[in-house]
Amino acid sequence: MAFWVTTLIFVLCGVIASLILRLFCNKGPSTNLLHFTLAMTATVCCWMMWAIVYLAQLNPLIVPILSEE
Amino acid sequence: MSTDHRSGGGCCPPMDLMRSEPMQLVQAIIPIESSHQTVSYLGDLGLIQFKDLNADKSPFQRTYANQIKRCGEMARKLRFFRDQMTKASVFPSALTVAHPNVNFDDLEAKLCELETELLEVNSNNGKLQRTYSELLEYVLVLQKAGEFFYTAQDSATAQHRQNEENIYSDGSIEKPLLDQEMFIDHSKQVKLGFVSGLVPKGKSMAFERILFRATRGNMFLKQAAVEDLVTDPVSGEEVAMIVFVVFYSGERAKTKILKICDAFGANRYPFTEDVGRQKQMIDEVSGKIKELKVTIDAGLQHRDNLLKTISCQFEQWNLLVRKEKSVYHTLNMLSLDVSKKCLVAEGWSPISASTQVQNVLQKAAKDSNSQVGSIFQVLNTNAPPPTYFQTNKFTSAFQEIVDAYGVARYQEANPGVFTIVTFPFLFAVMFGDWGHGICLLLTTLYFIIREKKLSTQKLGDITEMIFGGRYVILMMAISSIYTGFIYNEFFSVPFELFGKSAYACSDSSCSDAYTEGLVKVRPAYSFGVDPEWHGSRSELPFLNSLKMKMSILLGVAQMNLGIILSYFNGSFFRNNLNIWYQFVPQLIFLNSLFGYLSLLIIVKWCTGSKADLYHVMIYMFLSPTDDLGENQLFDGQKNLQMVLLLLALVSVPWMLLPKPLILKKQHEERHQSQAYAMLQSSDDGALGIEPNHASNDHEEFEFSEIFVHQLIHTIEFVLGAVSNTASYLRLWALSLAHSELSTVFYEKVLILAWGYNNIIILAIGIVVFICATIGVLLVMETLSAFLHALRLHWVEFQNKFYEGDGYKFVPFSFALLTEEEE
Repeated sequence: MAFWVTTLIFVLCGVIASLILRLFCNKGPSTNLLHFTLAMTATVCCWMMWAIVYLAQLNPLIVPILSEE
Repeated sequence: MSTDHRSGGGCCPPMDLMRSEPMQLVQAIIPIESSHQTVSYLGDLGLIQFKDLNADKSPFQRTYANQIKRCGEMARKLRFFRDQMTKASVFPSALTVAHPNVNFDDLEAKLCELETELLEVNSNNGKLQRTYSELLEYVLVLQKAGEFFYTAQDSATAQHRQNEENIYSDGSIEKPLLDQEMFIDHSKQVKLGFVSGLVPKGKSMAFERILFRATRGNMFLKQAAVEDLVTDPVSGEEVAMIVFVVFYSGERAKTKILKICDAFGANRYPFTEDVGRQKQMIDEVSGKIKELKVTIDAGLQHRDNLLKTISCQFEQWNLLVRKEKSVYHTLNMLSLDVSKKCLVAEGWSPISASTQVQNVLQKAAKDSNSQVGSIFQVLNTNAPPPTYFQTNKFTSAFQEIVDAYGVARYQEANPGVFTIVTFPFLFAVMFGDWGHGICLLLTTLYFIIREKKLSTQKLGDITEMIFGGRYVILMMAISSIYTGFIYNEFFSVPFELFGKSAYACSDSSCSDAYTEGLVKVRPAYSFGVDPEWHGSRSELPFLNSLKMKMSILLGVAQMNLGIILSYFNGSFFRNNLNIWYQFVPQLIFLNSLFGYLSLLIIVKWCTGSKADLYHVMIYMFLSPTDDLGENQLFDGQKNLQMVLLLLALVSVPWMLLPKPLILKKQHEERHQSQAYAMLQSSDDGALGIEPNHASNDHEEFEFSEIFVHQLIHTIEFVLGAVSNTASYLRLWALSLAHSELSTVFYEKVLILAWGYNNIIILAIGIVVFICATIGVLLVMETLSAFLHALRLHWVEFQNKFYEGDGYKFVPFSFALLTEEEE
């Protein structure tokens, strides 16, 4: 459940970033498409990294064993 | 396969930077009187790359060789001025003073004039300086020799008498009868000659020795060292000198001594015995020295004034000369029309710039008062155009990274677009530590904030590189901060920033924590790696497994992106062969094997199964029909695996065979239709030329060559699928190295120093920690991760779709000229 919520948050961040870019750096359709592509790529990369690390910890096969200190 | 550069188009709307700007070959016919002006204005515009139409001519045969020689002369004069200015420590002022435009011929005359004047001033100064040094030496001789002259003269006379007595007493066999004749007349004053001067201290011993030998001991030398260093008139250097006076008798001795003095470079100065005269001479020479000093100072002042006036306009002149030289080089590339009344220029230019170019041509024709305007037309050609990307200061650094591997072929997909995001991202996967990321960010912000000032300065080599890549480093720093939060490392220290850790002791006494470990009491940590992992015994097994699987997932994703870009290339160039017989089987092959592996990884994580994925993948190939047993992750896995294996096996011959065979068939069809066309056109003579041209392109079709090429491509892809995927494991390796180094520096340096409870050891520890962090982690690791991220892009990402055999668009532009300094 938390996974999908956070995924939704990432999607929203991506959309907001695209909107902000569109508002402040509107330089014609081809440039806007470039900005949009970059924003989407960045969002996907960040989301992938988070999702991988999150999923790996959902059902772990080993637990932390503290070391003697 | 020649591609018509106007055939592009296709599935998607155009995107900036994705493909090269469309280029066209343009031709301009320029009347001679406006040619210089036109080329000058085009240089300001900077949007045409001229083709050299006189490539077969040597530099001396070209039309404007003379002008170039003149420019070369002027450049030499300017270099001479610059040397003189540096010697006199006068620096050319920056190009802020806007003088009205100087005429080329006027400038040439003025430079000539200034050069002769400067040379004259220099030689005069040189002469005066020499005379001055000589006079100084003379004064020294007068003073020093005056001190010891009389004592020396007495000793010399005594010695001479002694020598003569010895000669007379030894040499005579017959004793004269009269005793008084044996006595030398002491009252007769022995007239000894003397030579006085200066000799360099280093040579004085040898000087003395040779004088002694040459005169057979019949000389007396008295020396006195000079305390200060004296400037040698001839060489201008400061040498330690010795004042000497040599007493001799006889003419032969005199000539010998003079020759020896010349040989040793000893300067001789006249010296009078008369005391009164000596004083007078000293006063005279001192007076002359003072006058000379004033004259020399005035001379130097004159020279400095001259140099200052030059320095005001130096930069402007320099720029003008360089511009003129480049304009004439360009004019040399244009071909002279038969009528000798106009020049023909050919060059590549972006289609979007054609109105600008036409406007410039018109303006130049108007400004140069020519009666005829220039003619501008577009030529059709099959030659491959240069590649031109319109980048700004942010994207240019990334584009340079891509171009360093190979400039994109005209209008193929530019990996630079995705590199802007994925390159810093992959760097950050290997560098993840938000403390280090903040350090990088601060460094690069310094460069970005002082951008304007630093871009005009001359920076050192390394600083220049860092300044050029400041936006790349900015992206890298921001991504590193993000992955630092995900890996939960701040100089290797984890923080509980996103909620409580998921692990806790199983009971209140924490007795099991060191043997069995903690227990998962809460849902998984919401953002990043759980902080409890750091420092635990099972940290490495967990993190290694996580990072390896992450590397595979990221790698498969990037490689798929590469293959999809090859689809976009295929659809843009309307190359259906490439789409159906290359893109599709490649996609199927990669995903049925490594896409499936990625799927297994995700399913294993989601279900928490204990299946061994190595085992699953290997036995998928070795014994696909066997039961999976405890390695089963989902129902129907065995059947799915068999289907995927079959798909992979089918896709290999699909990549290999159809394309060459179809190419062969297409070639044969074209050949046949050409044969018919030639029969037809034999009636119309004019059209007969074209089929020949076309057939020249297609005549060379070696089926075996095409087939071998396709075989190599297939083998490369199939083997590369395994090796490239494994290559992405470097993401894991470097990230592990970074975090381990960081941990070692933190624990074994800082914490160790803290443990001693001694302020000095703590201070030393902090210094060592900072030096190690900066030197190893911030410099070496940054370079290392940069290099590996670059390699992953250049090889594993780009070999899926990038040809990179184009050439870059380098327009004739004055702006580019000022960038390439001498």
